[in-house]
Amino acid sequence: MARHALRRVLLAIAQLTLLSVLVFLLTSLLPGDAADVLFNDKTGTEQIARLRHEMGLDQPPAQRFLDWAKDLLTGDAGTSLTGGQPVSGIVAHSVGATALLAGVTAVIAVPVALVLGLVTGCRAGGRLDRTVTAVTLALGSVPDFVLSLALVAVFALKLGWLPSTWIGATTGDLLTRPGLLVLPVAVLLARTVSQLIRQFRAGTLGALNSGYAQQARRLGVPRTRLLLRHVLPNAAVPGVQQLARTGDALLGGVLVVEAVFAVPGAATALIEAVRSRDVPTVQALTLLLAAAALFLNVAADLVSHRLSPRVEVLR
Amino acid sequence: MTRPLIEVRRLTAHAADGTALVRGVDLRMEAGRVTALVGPSGSGKTTTALALLGEAGAGVRLSGHVRVGETEVVGAHGITAHAAGVRGGTVAYLPQHPGNALNPARRIGAVLTELAALHAPSGGGRNASRALSRAALEQAQLPPERPVLRRFPHQFSGGQQQRVALAEVLACGPRALVLDEPGTGLDTVTRAALTRELARLARSGPAILLLSHDHAMVRALADDTVVLEAGRVTARGTPEAVLPAAPAPVTVRESGEDPDGGAKEHPEDSGEERPDGTPLLQARSLFAWHRRRGHNVLHDVSLRLRAGECVGVAGPSGSGKTTLARCLAGLHERLGGDLLLDGAPLPALVHRDREQKRRVQYVWQDVHDSFDPRRTVIDQVARTAVRLRGRTVDQAREEAGALLCEFGVPPRTAARPPGALSGGELQRAAFARAALARPDVLVCDEITSALDAETAERVLTHVEHLRTTRTAVLWISHDLRLMRRVADRLLVLDGGGLAEAGACARVLARPRSEATRRLLDAEERGQRRRTALPAEAGPHPMG
Repeated sequence: MARHALRRVLLAIAQLTLLSVLVFLLTSLLPGDAADVLFNDKTGTEQIARLRHEMGLDQPPAQRFLDWAKDLLTGDAGTSLTGGQPVSGIVAHSVGATALLAGVTAVIAVPVALVLGLVTGCRAGGRLDRTVTAVTLALGSVPDFVLSLALVAVFALKLGWLPSTWIGATTGDLLTRPGLLVLPVAVLLARTVSQLIRQFRAGTLGALNSGYAQQARRLGVPRTRLLLRHVLPNAAVPGVQQLARTGDALLGGVLVVEAVFAVPGAATALIEAVRSRDVPTVQALTLLLAAAALFLNVAADLVSHRLSPRVEVLR
Repeated sequence: MTRPLIEVRRLTAHAADGTALVRGVDLRMEAGRVTALVGPSGSGKTTTALALLGEAGAGVRLSGHVRVGETEVVGAHGITAHAAGVRGGTVAYLPQHPGNALNPARRIGAVLTELAALHAPSGGGRNASRALSRAALEQAQLPPERPVLRRFPHQFSGGQQQRVALAEVLACGPRALVLDEPGTGLDTVTRAALTRELARLARSGPAILLLSHDHAMVRALADDTVVLEAGRVTARGTPEAVLPAAPAPVTVRESGEDPDGGAKEHPEDSGEERPDGTPLLQARSLFAWHRRRGHNVLHDVSLRLRAGECVGVAGPSGSGKTTLARCLAGLHERLGGDLLLDGAPLPALVHRDREQKRRVQYVWQDVHDSFDPRRTVIDQVARTAVRLRGRTVDQAREEAGALLCEFGVPPRTAARPPGALSGGELQRAAFARAALARPDVLVCDEITSALDAETAERVLTHVEHLRTTRTAVLWISHDLRLMRRVADRLLVLDGGGLAEAGACARVLARPRSEATRRLLDAEERGQRRRTALPAEAGPHPMG
């Protein structure tokens, strides 16, 4: 196990290095740079050239990459080209909200999905199973923005129970006003839980019909014990992998939810940075999200490996 | 007369469609005695055995009377509510393919301790359970050490997995054991060792029900034999009285001149015995490995297969027979060397075109997982002809039905999903599925090991028929008796390399390699064992 973990982490570090190169290359491919954005038609080319020199934009790409990487390793993500404030501040501010949304969603989604997945898997074809399957299929198929708007229309506008937007709120307010979280998390949960339940259900079904579950039953293992000790570790494997994918999506892809509820999150900050050619912020945010995705996948792999060590052999 | 431990009276079982699977079986089992249940596949052996646990397949209705210890397991109206109480602690069942019965996510020590604690008479705490689990492991001939206990099932070889499954069964401390076809798929040497161990187990006290079509094993172990045919008991008594006489030993080795030249330095299947024609399938110095190159499971194996020819492959467990088959079938992709079909390179399966897929077909043992559990068997068998030969669905179904009938799988059985077929019936269906492609090369890996003699005969007849239509056959088997019948030439593998190759009759009559001699010795011992069981304590091959 320890060796497997070490190998997996080393691989992740290599991936991260490769990724930082890619992020840098791709962002330097963006048409125009901050100097173009900051100045308009009236500024002379000479001024732009001077600004480029000040910002270090006239250096060769390899040199710029090394400088950037060196600064990153010392914890300095640079200065925003548009606002002049440190990038780390922008990142910290925007990622906080996203991480909170993703975290709350995951904390609710996993136990709910695990229990419902196990129960529906055990009673496949039963009334509960059919109901849950129908509901999750429907929820999973509704686009986020439709669901968001529908929830806002009903709970915020019609009933007035919950706030419909985060405008004016900061990350700090969330803890004192949890009502802000309800609608965005509800939208995120709809898709997350639907996908997770289906994976856990399929895993449970597969494990229950397996030869080892049958043999455990024949050797007199009682039902609850069978489920928890023999079926669950195997049934959870596809769910854990799905969870890592869901985590990626939650961190990077909650744009619609952020846009609808005006959440000052990572996706919003990223779009804003790309629009203003604020390359350091784009790079820092992209790299952070990529690193988080890598981390989640490594964690999922290690958990799967612990649950079912054969996974490694099959690969 | 004392009350037997297990008593079965007028047990019947009906499938969901009303077919009678078991029609009035009576059975008595006593502590310390081995009762063998023999009969062709599909005769109701497993259904009867599972009834002792109060278990029946999906849709199967049991009735009659089954008493285990003091518990009524099956009554006139089917399985009783008390049946769950006998499972494990009183009657424990060892399934036919133990590899499937082990939980891939659990360390074996944890499962053994759990089972021991579950069935221990009055608790006794964790240490007592640990001691019981170690004892069970020892009884199953595995060292009861911590590193072994901490392993996962996939870290054991096939033969060892069988022992682990046996240890799990023994950890429950059952008063009666049901062994379903133990030894299926094991080579003769390992099978002989298993037989010895089971004999020792039988003497240690539990009542044993042995389900087997291996007459040699039944003769060696059983006190009583019950013969089932089509769900009815047709004979009972001692093995000697009931079973047909054992075949006379045929392994008389000749001495003297080799008709086909002197011993070769480096054994190589040159196919010189039949110089006519070009090879249909050729493998040139094939290497294969699993996870790391260099750790080869096959080294430098060459073979030639001509149209209409049958080449046998023999060797102990782990000698690389199945890897060779999987290489030819394109399923093992980590290989070096050349693989040629009609002189053209044959790629791995995913890169083969439809015609190449049709031309090389592979049938293996333990085929259950290769069938979709939701579709009927006949549809899945017929699909080959649709996919690979462009037949219409109706034509394909007709051909498939006829072929399955020839193999003794009636249309009514074939119209069920695979879960409702016995292991032997599925094995034949898998063979039919491959044969329906009208392959040019048919690779058969131990396809008769789960079949009784009569059914195996039908399969062999069809193999011979295929050869008359110029299909080449690679026949992998532990059964040297069948090998003599089907194979023109024989390759003996040992430790991944070719130990010997030559005309089948010559290799088995005048073996030149140690590996071949060992196989022949084990076969001879197996045939002798039908009289008294020798208490020889030979080494136990650990896979």
